[in-house]
Amino acid sequence: MNNPVQHLVIVGGGTAGWLSACMLAARLPEKRITLVEAPDIPTIGVGEGTWPTMRETLATIGIAEAEFLRECDASFKQGSRFDGWRDGSDGDSYLHPFSAPPPSEMRDLAAAWQREGARGAFAAAITPQHAVCAANMAPRQRAMPDYAGALNYGYHLDAGKFAALLMRHATTRLGVTRIAAHVTGVTRAENGDIAALVLRGAAPLAGDLFLDCSGQAGILIAGECGAGWVDRSDVSFNDRALAVQVPVLPGSPIAAQTIGTAHEAGWFWDIGLPSRRGIGCVYASRFLTDDRAAEILMAYVAAKVPGADPASLTPRKLAFMTGHRDRFWIGNCLAVGLSAGFIEPLEASAIVLIELSLKALAENFPQGRASMDIHAARFNELFRYRWDRIVEFLKLHYALSERPEPYWQAQRAAETIPQRLAECLALWREQSPSVWDFPRVDEMFPAASQQYVLHGMGFPVPLSGAAPAPSSRLAEVTAKARALTAALPSARDYLDRLAAQSPAARIPA
Amino acid sequence: MSQHQILNPADHGPLRIHTEAGAEYGDNVMACLAMPAEFREVQAHYPIVFRRDAETGKLAALALFGFEAGENLFLNGATWEARYRPMAHAVQPFLIGRPAEEGAAPQVHIDMASPRISTSGEGMRVFDDAGTPTPWLEAVATTLGDLDYAWHESAAFFTALEAYELVEPFSLEVTLDSGAVQSLVGFQTIHEDRLASLDGEALAALMAEGHLARIYMVLASLAQFGNLVARKNAKLALG
Repeated sequence: MNNPVQHLVIVGGGTAGWLSACMLAARLPEKRITLVEAPDIPTIGVGEGTWPTMRETLATIGIAEAEFLRECDASFKQGSRFDGWRDGSDGDSYLHPFSAPPPSEMRDLAAAWQREGARGAFAAAITPQHAVCAANMAPRQRAMPDYAGALNYGYHLDAGKFAALLMRHATTRLGVTRIAAHVTGVTRAENGDIAALVLRGAAPLAGDLFLDCSGQAGILIAGECGAGWVDRSDVSFNDRALAVQVPVLPGSPIAAQTIGTAHEAGWFWDIGLPSRRGIGCVYASRFLTDDRAAEILMAYVAAKVPGADPASLTPRKLAFMTGHRDRFWIGNCLAVGLSAGFIEPLEASAIVLIELSLKALAENFPQGRASMDIHAARFNELFRYRWDRIVEFLKLHYALSERPEPYWQAQRAAETIPQRLAECLALWREQSPSVWDFPRVDEMFPAASQQYVLHGMGFPVPLSGAAPAPSSRLAEVTAKARALTAALPSARDYLDRLAAQSPAARIPA
Repeated sequence: MSQHQILNPADHGPLRIHTEAGAEYGDNVMACLAMPAEFREVQAHYPIVFRRDAETGKLAALALFGFEAGENLFLNGATWEARYRPMAHAVQPFLIGRPAEEGAAPQVHIDMASPRISTSGEGMRVFDDAGTPTPWLEAVATTLGDLDYAWHESAAFFTALEAYELVEPFSLEVTLDSGAVQSLVGFQTIHEDRLASLDGEALAALMAEGHLARIYMVLASLAQFGNLVARKNAKLALG
């Protein structure tokens, strides 16, 4: 039996579902795609930071950059800044930027920075993006072609608006069929595959491959296919978040990166959009009460957002389990998005995991049922690898901290450090992170990312066997930073100008 | 009206300049001054002609971009379709300023009425937040210095042209693809016959001063009229 895989059925209409619909429709135009979403289930809508991969994704889907920026209230994200993670003192801050030089160049620059006394921020020695971020600048000029930039960048966006844009695009331009209905069960084929979805108030919907984008419920992958849960809370403690959206003053600066600020038992996220800042308090419930979390969140808002009125804000509370399925692809059902797993958004891994899942699927697409199990086994191995690397990389942010609070001491307790991370840290005292540590295709956190966090946290650059770049190479980075900060507009000016030329704004009152 | 100011970080700290090409930035001009020192670059893209000032009678060289006032056939939206722009155009909206006292160093001036002055927050910064000139302004200042030097040095070239009577009036008439006749009058060019009849002593003198090569650059640049006509035809064909 080798039935062709012709009809793809997606369950769930959040970011994962509509991104899947658009990507698969764009990359597999000969396939039929149907998306089923319940008409009354709200999207979770906290995935608001993307990686640079989103530029290629949007270009592939066929959405113009200006349209995307306007429709999603989006801004540019050039990396993540971590404030207070090392010891919480004044000036304790480092940047994990999206731009990195080629690996050998980065190794030589890092060695030169260390040799010259580790003066100034590590990232500032490596890339001019540090200066551009510090000045709240856009990574591109409006006259540049879509999705091109002077520096590598992704986006901050309004997740609800993003899903709505993707839905319009999928249904009106890419030929995706949308069905508004509840999935109440499935019918099975003889081999145990899902044959069709049983819908409330609609005819059963048959398909060849089913994508579970139903969110944390995982109604197909867990509910029907019996995937197990791999709990990672032994390493990643945080299990709660309080989220608010804070309006900002017109003309106020828009941050060029996500800001993650450490607190006594977790951290705050701070994501700047043109009209508001999305701010959240992430914490571990066994170290912090909900009331205390709300208290420090409001104090953060009052201190950091000019003109904000904390009393007018009602935080939304989210409880989450950290972990992932033991298998992501079972039979003819594939989990994409939160149905596959969840971890705190410290490095914005949620949306990029969706993109990577779709890329893996589209570039390794089973033409018939016969090859599907081989693809599934490979996919499961690859994404298990990815989850392990994510868990380890997020842990790295905590493992080197010197903060004194009980939470932080627990975070760096040896028994909570994954063995592979502990081994890497031992090696990295002797040799820099390299492709030997991260050899796979599309590594999520390659050596450069590890180096930005390691040395941002004060971990010394190993100099044995290193060939430091001459000082003139460090000076070239500084000169490039001066040239870029002269040429680039502020993110605020860029996005306000873009909004002013939008079709909507031109309609006479 | 122009509005010249001495460029300085106190008055112009946050200033930004539009550096892209565009009619809205004043690039829709038919010609601009070309310095003899840059003839080698200019002749690779544009015809070089001379114009005699109606009042002073002095000669100046021009790079031609079009056939009529306001016509720049190299301008295509935000693109200037040539790798080189004459210095006098490239430095806009900056100018050389000379202090009143004799021998004082020239200053960088800026025309604050220029459409290149940005009010949108986009464009190139002139000074950074510390008030230090940006690398871009440093490059512009270098070009301004080159332009100033080239301007002063050009007098000897024109004096030599006059001394050997090497300039003659020049007019052009071409029939375009559309059937219309395009004419160009009021300019001067090199008198080729007289150039060909110069004796060895005169040629040696012109060569020793560095003028001879520039004279031939001007002659060579006339071949660019073919390209200019082709651009005009292409523009008319596109409507």
